[in-house]
Amino acid sequence: MRFMLLMIPGGYESAAPGTLPDAKAVAAMMKYNESLQRAGVLLALDGLHPPSMGARVSFAGGKPKVSDGPFSEAKEVVGGYWMIQVRSKEEAIEWAKRCPGSDNEVIEVRQVQEFADFPPDVQEAAAGFSELQAQSGQLKGS
Amino acid sequence: MRVMVLVKADKDSEAGTLPDEKILTEMGQFNEELVKAGVMLAGEGLQPSSKGARVRFSGAKRTVIDGPFTEAKELIAGYWLWQVKSMDEAIEWLKRAPFDQTEVELRQVFETEDFGPAMTPELREQEERLRAQSEQLSKAANL
Repeated sequence: MRFMLLMIPGGYESAAPGTLPDAKAVAAMMKYNESLQRAGVLLALDGLHPPSMGARVSFAGGKPKVSDGPFSEAKEVVGGYWMIQVRSKEEAIEWAKRCPGSDNEVIEVRQVQEFADFPPDVQEAAAGFSELQAQSGQLKGS
Repeated sequence: MRVMVLVKADKDSEAGTLPDEKILTEMGQFNEELVKAGVMLAGEGLQPSSKGARVRFSGAKRTVIDGPFTEAKELIAGYWLWQVKSMDEAIEWLKRAPFDQTEVELRQVFETEDFGPAMTPELREQEERLRAQSEQLSKAANL
């Protein structure tokens, strides 16, 4: 089963453009990342620049409307993620607990939808999705 | 540069309502265009937060809270990872997505160089090795 671990750092919603984590935090996190990789569970990971360097698009009535960050109404934002492959939700939670998170941080653990999770008629309508995933995976390697 | 495209949850996604054939077909066509243009790096849907959990950190203490997270206004339902030349290019692509009523957030992804001096040469090597190894595992997981 695949799970996404979403890091939600408190206060990141108002971080200035170019905000960087400090050296100690980076080093501690890299140790954790290494442990995920050594255990053979790490599929992917990334950090995200703050919302002040991002944008939002809303699709009310199907018409796209763009707004630049930061987003004053947002009380929490994603700061980064890990994608892991484990046997159960409990195992995913155990890994989340091992993260060297700070007091103002929360990790949200979410299960990834697998093709096989969908009923047969939905699988048929979405046929070709796994090929798409494989193709984009090849792209990433290039 | 890489951009993460975060699709926000709504009542339907949180209820576990499955997309209908029309939406799946339109989204499939959109994904196909992204792959053909060399933009698509990754994309996944997430199960509703009722199947998830949150972990809070307080010193050495860890508190686990089971979903759903009904008070959270910023839940994610899915994401893409795109390779683009600029945030503007990502926005132009996103405008073409077959969404109706959905909210989507675009965020720049940290590249190794972005971390500055905190990412020492040793850490940089470690980071590159981790990525290469996890990409191998990811490809195997997708087969």
